[in-house]
Amino acid sequence: MKRRKRIVNTICYIVLILISVIWLFPFFGLVLQSFRGESGGMVSYLVPQEWSMKNYQFLFGSNSKFLKWYSNTLIIALFVSVLQTIVIISVSYALSRMRFNGRKALMNIWLVLGMFPGFLTMICLYFLLKALHLTEAGAIPGLILISVASSGMGYYVCKGYFDTIPRALDEAAIIDGATRAQILWKMIIPMSKPIIIYTALVAFMAPWCDYIFASYVAFGYENSYNVAVAMTRWVWTNDYQGFFTRFCAGGILVAIPVTVLFMSLQKYYVEGVTGGAVKG
Amino acid sequence: MDEKKRGNFGFLKWLGNDLKDIGQTFARGDWKTRLSFLIMGFGQLCRGQIVRGLSLLALQGGLLYFIFGFGWQYLTKILTLGTVETHREGRVTVYGHNSFFILLYGILVIVAVLALIYLWRLNLRQNRDAEHLLSIGKRLPSNKEDLGSLLDKNFDKTLLALPVLGIFIFTVLPIIFMICIAFTNYDVTHQPPSKLFTWVGLQNFKELFGIGGTGNFGGTFFYVLGWTLLWAFFATFLTYFLGMAVAILINKKGIKLKKLWRTILVLTIAVPQFVSLLYVGKMFAVDGLVNAFLMRWGWISTPINFWANATSARVLIILINLWIGIPYTMLIVTGLLMNIPAELYESARIDGANAFQSFRKITLPYMLFVTGPFLLTQFIGNLNNFNVIFLLNQGNPKSLELTNNAGATDLLVTWLYKMTINDSNYKIAAVIGIMVFIVTAVISLIVYNVLPSVKDEEGFQ
Amino acid sequence: MKKYLALLLALCMVFALAACGQAAAPAQEAAPAQEAAPAEEPAATGALKIWVAEAVVDFTKEQVASFMADHPEYAGYTVSVEPVGEGDAASNMLMDVEAGADIFGFPQDQLARLVAADALIPLSDENAAIVADENDAGSVAAATMAGTVYAYPLTSDNGYFLYYDKSVISDPSTLEGIIADCEAAGKSFYYDLRSGWYMPAFFFGAGCTLTYDTDDSGAFTKCNIDYASDAGLGALKALIALHKSPAFVNGSSVSNATNAAAIIDGTWDADAAKELFGENYACAKLPTVEINGTATQLGGFGGFKLLGVKPQTDETKLALCDDLALFLSSGDVQLARYNVVFWGPSNIAAKADPAVQADEALAALGAQLAFTVPQGQYPGEYWSLSEALGDDIIAGKYDTADDAALMEALQNFQDTCISYAG
Repeated sequence: MKRRKRIVNTICYIVLILISVIWLFPFFGLVLQSFRGESGGMVSYLVPQEWSMKNYQFLFGSNSKFLKWYSNTLIIALFVSVLQTIVIISVSYALSRMRFNGRKALMNIWLVLGMFPGFLTMICLYFLLKALHLTEAGAIPGLILISVASSGMGYYVCKGYFDTIPRALDEAAIIDGATRAQILWKMIIPMSKPIIIYTALVAFMAPWCDYIFASYVAFGYENSYNVAVAMTRWVWTNDYQGFFTRFCAGGILVAIPVTVLFMSLQKYYVEGVTGGAVKG
Repeated sequence: MDEKKRGNFGFLKWLGNDLKDIGQTFARGDWKTRLSFLIMGFGQLCRGQIVRGLSLLALQGGLLYFIFGFGWQYLTKILTLGTVETHREGRVTVYGHNSFFILLYGILVIVAVLALIYLWRLNLRQNRDAEHLLSIGKRLPSNKEDLGSLLDKNFDKTLLALPVLGIFIFTVLPIIFMICIAFTNYDVTHQPPSKLFTWVGLQNFKELFGIGGTGNFGGTFFYVLGWTLLWAFFATFLTYFLGMAVAILINKKGIKLKKLWRTILVLTIAVPQFVSLLYVGKMFAVDGLVNAFLMRWGWISTPINFWANATSARVLIILINLWIGIPYTMLIVTGLLMNIPAELYESARIDGANAFQSFRKITLPYMLFVTGPFLLTQFIGNLNNFNVIFLLNQGNPKSLELTNNAGATDLLVTWLYKMTINDSNYKIAAVIGIMVFIVTAVISLIVYNVLPSVKDEEGFQ
Repeated sequence: MKKYLALLLALCMVFALAACGQAAAPAQEAAPAQEAAPAEEPAATGALKIWVAEAVVDFTKEQVASFMADHPEYAGYTVSVEPVGEGDAASNMLMDVEAGADIFGFPQDQLARLVAADALIPLSDENAAIVADENDAGSVAAATMAGTVYAYPLTSDNGYFLYYDKSVISDPSTLEGIIADCEAAGKSFYYDLRSGWYMPAFFFGAGCTLTYDTDDSGAFTKCNIDYASDAGLGALKALIALHKSPAFVNGSSVSNATNAAAIIDGTWDADAAKELFGENYACAKLPTVEINGTATQLGGFGGFKLLGVKPQTDETKLALCDDLALFLSSGDVQLARYNVVFWGPSNIAAKADPAVQADEALAALGAQLAFTVPQGQYPGEYWSLSEALGDDIIAGKYDTADDAALMEALQNFQDTCISYAG
């Protein structure tokens, strides 16, 4: 019996190690490429022939606007994270704790709206933002506005969490003379730390990957690019020969803060994502 | 919004009652109320409800200004979408009407008119109620109470105002606009600001279903639709079951370093996809890293062109998607596994069930029950999974058997993206968008009616 | 019942939109009025935007500065130069002409689409005459549609030829020899057969034609094609044979090629190719290939980069755009540009410069030029259709097909090409 157990465990470990290798391999490759000193194009080997920091030096050098793009993305991510969390908490609270005319209808309409493919509306959104002068030089606030404006529809996970907080608590507080606003502020929010962190984290991570709409809105104005828009050009267009290792280096720099943040808040992410999955 | 449900007859009845009520309000009301028919908020102002009165008045002024000062020029042209063409005087260009803005702002003005009618009705009702309260000797809510209730009884309105508005302007309005585009001839030869586009009725839909259209458009549509569904199915359920397997494996008693394994997997969620997927896509190129390694190890003699063949490209995309999707499912399942009472497994073991049986009888049913909604959102998310397809291979390979730039791994969304970007074919993209909506809506409806865990919203409280 | 307070906020947003729309609308209405005002007004001010490829942004900025220094009459205008690649520039212009650049570089194959979307203003008669005088005939033809010149030729190097590794390829004159050398050395031959631009090398070489006629609005009226013929069949068979070789890799970008001994590519990759092949770097015209039993020289497109000016509502600004675009495409600037980024000039005088004459890659391109046709206008669908044919070849759909099946595919291709016209 014990021997069998040991064999099973060994197999499990082998599988896990295999999985880990597969999962880590691309990241491993990405890191190695970013330190490659020879040609900047694609190669079919993994370990660089010449180790070098020149790709990173290029990104931080005066010829590159990488830092500008990086800070653009960071600004967008921070604002979206804070504002989107506020919006989602507001919507979730209203839908979870309050009963008003049209509540069901509102939820159903939002559900239906979510089924339209968002890409189609991009051209329309572009012209709306242009009318508000939030394209090109104003693309950063424009992107923040778009991300935050429609975020109310992403209330499911947060509402699901609020639903699990007993309503008896609210009723008791109302009897004690608390207003709804006070209940939200003093009771619900302190009890919802995991879901708030989850919401903020998800909102923070999304802008790092937004390249299609962001490139529409920046419309060729380089100072408004985010990292994704700027860097996908390096691999997709013919104008940037030999930028592949720079892309890898930039990718590593983008991945670091997001990964660190994600790893340190992983516990909350799991709680949020599990809660959300269950409650829908 | 409740009115819609009662059907046509119900709506007419409601309309009749409402008109009667409006008439009665005017007939029975005092002069303040009657004047409020013209100047919104007048009665409220006279009766001391300054907050209500001023906001109604401001809204009326603003909306009227918007409708007549700005919107009128667009609204009047909405039936033709503009008639004046762009022309040149010498070499200087004089732009004519812009069909795009006529349609966009036309819709906005129609909404503004509806909002005005709604507010006007609200204004009348408030006057009527106020008169009624005063007539039975009660006191009207003070301004302070009005404002205070926004933090208490009417807190939902405070909370929802901005989100609802944001969603309206940046989601609903564009969607209405897009639906309208499906009935116009907005494409590369009818592009504002230089060219006008106009209404063409159901022409684009006829083309989609092969009536009088060019090429094999309908066939291509169903081909892409088929793959979209196939992809969504595999991407959802393969990731789900394999993710569950990995979670159970890590959770197994006797496995050490649980946290390390999880952290390794979770990296794919943390690293932005435009970095990781672009790199992984290049790894599988015919002269890429994977082929180079396989050849170095002597497993193959000539490189495999993974992306060239429709079948291999599809399989590869589904496999790479596992790399993205498994960690996500793993996290969720890990969280849920802890919720299953240990006694259940204990008693199963006493009854002589082996590990597989207890998985099949306990874990799986529980998981399926609890994660039903999650699976649905995953499925819908995969139907529209732009990033994976686009970053990996842009929907290629194409084939002469398909038309309009479609490729074998194109989803409906990536296809319509190509149509707008490469071909500026907005009208057909809009039609496909509507089709995507219908497909998604039908699937969701079916699933929603089948799933037990969605029905009972209040059950959790 | 204070639902309206919720709507208050809603309305604020609507007003914001309205206000902006208002600001925009009068501007449009005002355009004719501005035009009516005397154009000679000395202190005309405004902003002008230029889009060029990243590599020449700094160069263009310097040239613009020197132009502005020589033209004090335009002192009121500020000129900004943004790096927008030629492909992106065309698609951005097609999406929103009004917000697009006033002067932008683009590849000639986008000309018809840009004209159709009214994103290009025809050249004034004087400028058209200057352009026609000073540039090679191919580049002028590329900028012309239905007798109207729509753009300023910028380069005459948008064609392709062979880069190869001297140490691997002993004789670059036949494709069969190149493939044999590559196979023997375990290296690869790169050629992009899933591309409407590279693929005609085989078909045109075999003697086929594929051109489109356009009317003056940029619409395609007629397709001249004879791919479904013995010559076309031979070319298709040669492509299939090429794809079957283990040494063949589909691709046309040096920096994406990991194992290249030879690659068919353009001048823009010269630096990358020099780096890749080191001292074994060499260039040549395209090789010959066995088609229907005879060694046939591969043909292809000679292509050009153009500089366009978008339609303007203001006369002074239009004059500035005209003058600036003419200056940026002039012989002196083309030569200066060559010295910085090695873009092959289209200007006849600049072409004769010794430095340009000595350029290896341009020499190879020049040798190939004799076998190419100037690239005309093609509908956007043509490019994706060619990718589809290429993908079918690479996927092996025709590996075992007989002549009849191949002819059917060519007929299908030809019919579809014809369906894009008219």
